[in-house]
Amino acid sequence: MDVTADANRGLDLSRFVEIGKSVYSLVILLVLWEVVGQLGLIHYYFLPPLSDILIRFAELTLSGEMLFNAYLTLQRALIGLAIASVLGVIVGVLSARNDIVDWFFDPIIKIGYPVPIISLIPVFMLWFGIGDISKIIMVAVGTFWPVAVNARESTRQVETNLIWSAQMMGTSDRRLLWRVVMPAALPGILTGFQIAMPLSLIITFVFEMVAGGGGLGALEIQGVRSFESAQVYAAIIAIMLIGIGLDRILRFARGRLLHWT
Amino acid sequence: MRYATSRSIEVLPTPVQGVVNTIIDWIPLGIVVLVWELVSGGIVATDVLPAPATVGAEIVELFVSGEVFSHLFISLFRVGVGLGLSILVGVLLGVGMARSDPVENFFDIFLSMTYPIPKTALVPLAILWLGVGTKTAILIVFLACLLPIVLNAYNAAENVDQNLVWAAQMMGTDERSILYKIVFPATIPEIMTGVRQAVPIAFIALVSAELIASNAGMGYLILTSGQIGNYPTMFANIVIISAVAFVAVRAFEEARGRLLVWT
Repeated sequence: MDVTADANRGLDLSRFVEIGKSVYSLVILLVLWEVVGQLGLIHYYFLPPLSDILIRFAELTLSGEMLFNAYLTLQRALIGLAIASVLGVIVGVLSARNDIVDWFFDPIIKIGYPVPIISLIPVFMLWFGIGDISKIIMVAVGTFWPVAVNARESTRQVETNLIWSAQMMGTSDRRLLWRVVMPAALPGILTGFQIAMPLSLIITFVFEMVAGGGGLGALEIQGVRSFESAQVYAAIIAIMLIGIGLDRILRFARGRLLHWT
Repeated sequence: MRYATSRSIEVLPTPVQGVVNTIIDWIPLGIVVLVWELVSGGIVATDVLPAPATVGAEIVELFVSGEVFSHLFISLFRVGVGLGLSILVGVLLGVGMARSDPVENFFDIFLSMTYPIPKTALVPLAILWLGVGTKTAILIVFLACLLPIVLNAYNAAENVDQNLVWAAQMMGTDERSILYKIVFPATIPEIMTGVRQAVPIAFIALVSAELIASNAGMGYLILTSGQIGNYPTMFANIVIISAVAFVAVRAFEEARGRLLVWT
């Protein structure tokens, strides 16, 4: 009994050492940040002490301002992403399965994918204004390409043996698509979503910074314009949390959906 | 479609077949341009959607008058420096982290914490630090391109064929030469993959930085010509920067093919 207890303690200790090794640099940096800020070695405007930033973050969160802006940003990014996911998967899967659809979309994807989508923000402001609709359409257009390309490539790579066996057993085309092709292509389709998700946030933030209308991007740029640097840092913390959160959710969903792989 | 057409045009001589196939492949784009041309001025006002011919003429005009060159060069300079720095730092960091535990322990947490932040969200912070202009754009391009390069370099250096290293050690090669003669060359293909991923990201980061915080460059030109209502110029500049991004990716792929003759 004693032996196992000791072994466990030893294990815990080494785990602590491991964790310590991997976070010590962050702790040093954060302490240094606070000290430098408090001593005023770097001007407050450039680098406020960490504690000020966290207080500002807490203030903004408690007043509801941060949550409201985060809600605006997430709403725009996720609705746009959802539209792009549906259209992208449909176009991608159809192009892989149907020669005429592929003939039509292949050159369009070849030309459309490399366009730095951010450069179209002024165009969308002209066409759809600076409101939510404009931002959502922009996100949908921007994230359509990676979703479509990944759906197309992964559908093309579905093993023909699987399709042949199903066809030989008399599976109808419709069932073949839903029961064989889509599940087999799912890993690649999810990879497309994982590429598109950060892109949807990028487009939303930049649009909000350029055009305003609320959201975390607008909150951030407003901090720069009113010389409130603590607000800029606080908004970045919120953006980081959202980025980590969405990344985790997608990974979790991937693990759940692909448990059979 | 391609199968059907190639069968029906088999009677033609091979070079002509190639041309015909290329034309057939690109017809959809022609349809899109045609619809655009018809819609513009018809269903939609020419202000809102200038016809392709107008935009084309504007592109020629921008190049002939030389107006675009100063902005284009500024943008290319920013992308070049930002990407160059990220390759330099990214390769050193990636290989260093793979070959040395203390280096990995030190930097790993920063990379995993900054990984989920969209780098363009850091533009306002860059404005705080560096003001509006070239430095901000370079910093954003650098940060946005750094991670894909570090990750690829790290994975490559981590997976260097250990037999190569052992063979060299056995023949008395010192640590330093092993790093330069074996580890770096072995990682080049994957580093190239990282750079290939980084090039389109670089252009997105560039345009974002120039839209939000700039007084020059293609992004600035697009935004300002939109703001003053000069829409043909706005569309022309979007076409130009997209073409530049497209050419950059293709040129890089071409160069990679030439460089990696041994793979």
